[in-house]
Order: sequence, then structure tokens, then C-alpha cells
Amino acid sequence: MIAEIQNADANSYVLLHLANRRFALPSAIVSELAPPVRLHTFPHTSSLVSGVIVRRGRIVPVYDVASILLGRTSPVHRFYLIARRTFSDGPESSAIPVSGECELVTAELQEASDNTLPHISGRLLVDDESIEVLNFDALLASDLARHNAPLRAETRP
Amino acid sequence: MKIAAQEKGKTRRARHSEQMILFAVANRMFAIAAAAVQEIRSTDSLAVSANEIEQSEILKVRHTLERSHQTYYVVNAGAHFGLPVTRPTLVLILRQLRVAVLVDRIERMVDVAAIHSLPLAFAGEERRWYRGLTYIDDHVIPVIQPSGFLTTEEFRRLDRATNANSAPHDLEGAFQA
Repeated sequence: MIAEIQNADANSYVLLHLANRRFALPSAIVSELAPPVRLHTFPHTSSLVSGVIVRRGRIVPVYDVASILLGRTSPVHRFYLIARRTFSDGPESSAIPVSGECELVTAELQEASDNTLPHISGRLLVDDESIEVLNFDALLASDLARHNAPLRAETRP
Repeated sequence: MKIAAQEKGKTRRARHSEQMILFAVANRMFAIAAAAVQEIRSTDSLAVSANEIEQSEILKVRHTLERSHQTYYVVNAGAHFGLPVTRPTLVLILRQLRVAVLVDRIERMVDVAAIHSLPLAFAGEERRWYRGLTYIDDHVIPVIQPSGFLTTEEFRRLDRATNANSAPHDLEGAFQA
């Protein structure tokens, strides 16, 4: 999948499974699909961050995006999708637990009918299914994230 | 598209390794530079020199300790990190700070060659609590920032409470004299 992503163009998206729903991320910010390595946790107060994984010698924060998108933590995940989050200080690799295989698709981005949600940048029509394309940075910075995320993520073993 | 290549160097490799004390609180492991710790004592051995402090603003501090004519504030590490209540058995008396820290146990000492920066995803109080993260024996362990146990404002409040507590005794002494 990494080689495919590296050759991807502007209309390329990675489809990811969260529970029984599919979402899309622009492939330009996705670097790889990582195996379900150990999640390390320690005390902190950042909502949405469930811990860190170690990937290729780097420490990568893991975001529980299911709590924002589905309103609950995804009970089962099989992989980590590694994507880039952009901060004012620079980019940072970030991991999203996903519950199934990811798929690379090429499709035209269609304007979202509900443009009040800043974390949805549009929709893709794939296999007769309308799939929301996520704005990863907006998703993690949104008020929705702050409201839906657990206040303290450190207590998870 | 190599994200890693775009990121700034985020691992600080020490020219020489740094000796760390690994300690546990509520079954969570932490590392603190050995150089930041002046003394490690059992809570039992310090029971006689500890004084209860009457204040309700900073709940993680319940006692003071007198050492070398200085008042140290005893911080319960479990309360500081929001962990379940435990029964601490050891006190780490810090160097260059008027802080002593209640912990459950010392695991061991290790030499740490690299401290990774705390990822930017962590944006809360932990940025003050930790110098960074280290990776030891397949475990990611936060490295404590000693000055993160109490803020300047917390010191100010505790000093005020301590002075208020001691004032009646001073006055009492003055009358007796």
C-alpha cells in the first residue's frame, strides 16, 4: 500500500474503516498502514490522544477519532493508519486505529451538502456509497473533538 | 511522501547517557534524572519530621518537610498525575527545588541515551510535567520535569498557607515571652 500511496495523485484517497462506517483521507497525508503494535499509555490531559505507539524508531501519538466520528471508542481495531497532522511548529506523524483493511481509491471530490462541519471537506461516491472525506487537521482541532473526547485518556490500560 | 523526513529532529541524543531513576506510582512507570534527586527516604522514616499543612487549594500537597532549614512541600505523585489513590512508601526529595514527591516504589536505575520530545499532540498539563519520553525495554516511559510538580503560583499559595498556619504559633510565643 505504501508504494501505491507514493504514486498517488491529487484525487487519491485512502478509505478507512471505523466500526461499520467508511471515511476517506487524502492519500497525500497518509504514509502507511501499520500493524497493531502495542499502545503505550501514560498520564496526560490531552483529549482524543489515547497513547503512543513506536513505529520505525519514532514515537507516534494515537488519536481516538472514532470518539468524534462515531460518538464512541471503536471497540476493535486491527491496524493503525499513519497520517500527517500539521501543527504551527511543523508536521507530526499521527496514528488512527482502524478496524479493517484500507483501500486506495481515485475519485472526484464532491462538495459536502452540509458545509457546516469543518472536519468534512467533501464526499466521494464509491460503489454507490457516499463517503465523507475528512479534513484531518480540522477534525482533531474541532470543538466536536473537545466535546466528544474523554476528558482524561490516561486511565486506559 | 516520507513524513519522517519532513519532521524536525525530535530525538535528543545525549552526548553521554543520563542516569535515571525509574519509579512507579499506581502501577505506572516514570523516569526522573538521578541528578534531580537529592535523597530517597521511606515515608516511615520521615513521619516525625513531616507536618500537616492546612490548605484546601492544592490537594496534591498535604504535608511539609523540614530539611536543612528549608520547608519542602510534599507532593503526592498519584494526585499530581490524576492516578488512583495508592499508599506511597517512598519520598524523593528533589535537588534545587523545595519539593518532595511521594511515590509507591523505585524500580531501578537505568542509563538513558535518548529522550524523545513529547509529541505535539500532547497539549495539556503534561507539557509541563514531562521533559519528554524515553523507550526502555519495550516500554515508553515519560521523563519527569522536576519543576513541573509545582508551579510558581502553587508555591506562592502554599507559602501563604504555611505562613498563615505558623502565624498563630508565633503570636502565641510572643505573648508567652
